[in-house]
Amino acid sequence: MDRDLLRQCLTHHGESLFNTLQCEQTENPDFQAVASDLAKATYERRGAGEGCSLVEQFIARKADILFCPTWRTAVPREDELEDEEATEPYAIMPPAELFMEVPFEERRAMLYRDLERGDAVVGRINNIREYGFFLTLLCAAGGLRRDIEDLELSALCHIKEIPSTGSHDDPLSYYQIGDLIRGGVKDLDRYQEKITVSLLPASLCPRLAHIKLGVVAREELPKHYSRGLRVANDTRETYERILRGCHGYHNPSVVEYLLGRAGVSDDRPPSLMRGLQSKHFHEEDFATVIRKKQSASWALKCVRSGVDHFKHGRHVEAMNEYNKALEIDTNNVEALVARGALYANKGGMMKAISDFELGLETCPDHRNAKKYLCQTLVERGKQLQEQEKFVTAEGLYRRALSLDDSYPEAQAALRRITDTIQKSIRLREEATAKETEKAKSGKTSAQKLQRPSLSPTSTTSSRRRSKKRRRKRGGSERGSQRRRRRSSKRSEEEEEEEEEEYPAPPNTSASFLYRQGFLGSGAGRGEGASEDEGSEPRGGDGEGRRGRSFSSHALAEIDGGGRAAPGLSEVQLRQPGTAGPAPRGPAPAAPPLAAPRRTSLDGGRSQSRPGRGAELRGGEGPRAPPPSTSTSSSNGQGGVARPPQPAGGGAGKKGLPANLMDIFNKIAKFEKEKGAGPRK
Amino acid sequence: MEDPSSRTAHDGPPGQVARGGSKSGGPAAHGGPPGQAARGGSHSGGPAAHGGPPGQAARGGSDSETDVTREIKTHFRVCRFIMESGVKLGMRSVPVATACELYHRFFECVSLRVYEPYLVAMSCVYLAGKVEEQHLRTRDIINVSHRYFHNASAPLDCDREFWELRDSVVQCELLILRQLDFHVSFRHPHKYLLHYLMSVKALVNRHAWTRTPVAETAWALLRDCYHGVMCIHHAPQHIAIATLYLALNSYGVEMPVGEREWWQVLCEDVTKEDINAVISDLLQLYDMEAKCV
Repeated sequence: MDRDLLRQCLTHHGESLFNTLQCEQTENPDFQAVASDLAKATYERRGAGEGCSLVEQFIARKADILFCPTWRTAVPREDELEDEEATEPYAIMPPAELFMEVPFEERRAMLYRDLERGDAVVGRINNIREYGFFLTLLCAAGGLRRDIEDLELSALCHIKEIPSTGSHDDPLSYYQIGDLIRGGVKDLDRYQEKITVSLLPASLCPRLAHIKLGVVAREELPKHYSRGLRVANDTRETYERILRGCHGYHNPSVVEYLLGRAGVSDDRPPSLMRGLQSKHFHEEDFATVIRKKQSASWALKCVRSGVDHFKHGRHVEAMNEYNKALEIDTNNVEALVARGALYANKGGMMKAISDFELGLETCPDHRNAKKYLCQTLVERGKQLQEQEKFVTAEGLYRRALSLDDSYPEAQAALRRITDTIQKSIRLREEATAKETEKAKSGKTSAQKLQRPSLSPTSTTSSRRRSKKRRRKRGGSERGSQRRRRRSSKRSEEEEEEEEEEYPAPPNTSASFLYRQGFLGSGAGRGEGASEDEGSEPRGGDGEGRRGRSFSSHALAEIDGGGRAAPGLSEVQLRQPGTAGPAPRGPAPAAPPLAAPRRTSLDGGRSQSRPGRGAELRGGEGPRAPPPSTSTSSSNGQGGVARPPQPAGGGAGKKGLPANLMDIFNKIAKFEKEKGAGPRK
Repeated sequence: MEDPSSRTAHDGPPGQVARGGSKSGGPAAHGGPPGQAARGGSHSGGPAAHGGPPGQAARGGSDSETDVTREIKTHFRVCRFIMESGVKLGMRSVPVATACELYHRFFECVSLRVYEPYLVAMSCVYLAGKVEEQHLRTRDIINVSHRYFHNASAPLDCDREFWELRDSVVQCELLILRQLDFHVSFRHPHKYLLHYLMSVKALVNRHAWTRTPVAETAWALLRDCYHGVMCIHHAPQHIAIATLYLALNSYGVEMPVGEREWWQVLCEDVTKEDINAVISDLLQLYDMEAKCV
């Protein structure tokens, strides 16, 4: 029990209250604890009053609530004084003292008791001295509403409390007798009854910091003062009449506003009835909580009937039921999952996925939602693959795996698609390489690095280089089973084309020798670009290649995936000078195969490659064309005029030289259309 | 429609009497002609559970005094139901006050025997929400009431019972409107009390004011007034003044004394007797709580 409050109360009411309290509150242990203290003091009744017995009875009965420390819940809000004068959200009344005609002395005493440092006051200058000016206080401006004008209180504003204007004039010269000044109370001596006022903003307390100090016009005087003047002049004005006449009184939300100002809560309203104390209210009895539960159960009924419809094949009715359930209870997990399943069944994959995702947001552990979502994602991924949207499909597979990392079908699909993406990237790179070659008129540094003997046709050599690169990329693949038919065909065709165009290697034996040397290095060289490929297949392939002739080697490359090829061409790149044309012979076969298997890290890989390779790849790097582009570019790259790729290349090959320019032009156009989209 | 003769006589608060006739008929009044909130619905789940045991204690002969007391107790309980529902529905103080006042005014000239008080209460809550611009959904009112009568039960399904309850509430609303001649907007003490509070606060030292929970106490007293008919028998200013007076006195707050008392100033026509009358009515309500609930 709040001892101080009790004491204050007892002081007011006297001994009889104490006795009554003792009667009523005998069972209350809190009271007994403080009773002993209070008993020691003697109380004379201060407040005279008839009918006090009623009040005393009331206090005595309700003392355990009234004086409970937790009873004081109000948190008054004091910070909106700025608006209040202007907008008047409630009726700002003149000080009640005015109506009560409180005597002079009492008002004066009250003011000195209640005025504090940091308050704002308004006064009229009555005297100007060389050290400052004196104000007769009219009223307080910061929320303290008192009738003080006739008290003739004088406050001093020292010259050093006046903000300097910057010029060297005497600041006091700006002020005249009779000016209305608003200032902050800098100091207050209650005993000697001296008030010091300042015009510096720092003198105001933080709550009132928005008030502007200095000269004010008559219109800017606080409302309670101007209304008070009206009352003083006209005795017929009663409190109620003024209240009714105030604009703020008729504000429809005045009750809420003032309640907020007072800090009393209307959500958990206070009550002195024992049964209405807040501890008796349970959260589950509140309307919002019941409504939620009810909506969920109504929605569940609809879902059940919808599932029943679904099982009997009545899909339309099932969908209606699900939609109804979701209207009743939005984001109901069961309804979302059921509707998603229905969508998935009917082929609306995207809608199904969005439903499942939404359901998982609400309830991340929903077993069915996860399961169905995985399945749907994989399905959709497959659909996208058909449409050659590999990147999106890959994303979907990854999402499916992130939900359920043991889902085998997703894993397999992810692997396949990663391969496909790499391949298509490689093909695309080939195309861009070809494009770059076509575009470049001058010598590239790669070309400069090239031996002069090797440049009968720069085109051929650069093509070979690009093919080497392709082979290199192809070699980075680990045994991926899924190979695009087109790519294989294309590589076959390219290989044949290679055969056709390739001039006799200057030094075949050397190339063989070199390849062996390469094998060691190639095997040892990790595949930086592709994430999940190691060097061993490459090494194995390289070894396998040793004994083969060029063409068979090339074929083997195609079959085996040309794994070693990238390594081969890498090494060649590393020693561009020495390698010369020799290894380039075998190399070109593999690149067509290798290109499509390029992964997104090609860009990064290119940085690791020195000289020529880096140069050319840099040109290809920024491009991230979709597989279709690579397909078409490899189309042209292969130099075969076959718009539908699986078409027989044999016939096309004969016409290659003639159609080559067309194809390359097509590529160029296509590339321009695609623009320089960033590669992955 | 309920057949009066079938009612058991005076074995509980009047509110329960007719209910005994039907199978613990709830607040649903769909059975009667439109506009008549007759009891005797075929629902279970009426307020029977609530009115029971305390009412039995007041069993007695058919003398009017006991009747009156019983009626007052019923009204008290129903108003308690309104106040509790108001809190659970998140209603502000003024709409709750309007609901209680509608209820009291309705039963001023109408007998408890004819109309089911809890249904009337639910409709008063609904109507008050509309009048005071804090619209409530019938679904929420029904949910809260249902749970009030059937503690910890599952919410109602969207079935016939629910729709019938809803129809009853809506029809009863029209009945109330007609009974009150469509005068449903009242002047409440709340606005006065808050302004008086601001004025009185200015007279007191700010620190003393923050120490003393006058605002909460006055507000609590005002809200509690609505359990009884005193809210319509006194002027709103008088009620406001009286609650503020009681709150200030409870904590022994010293007020400045001038030619006139602060309460004389805030409301010109209030006298000490008025204040005392209000306070004594209020205290009687607190006493009744001990007897009723």
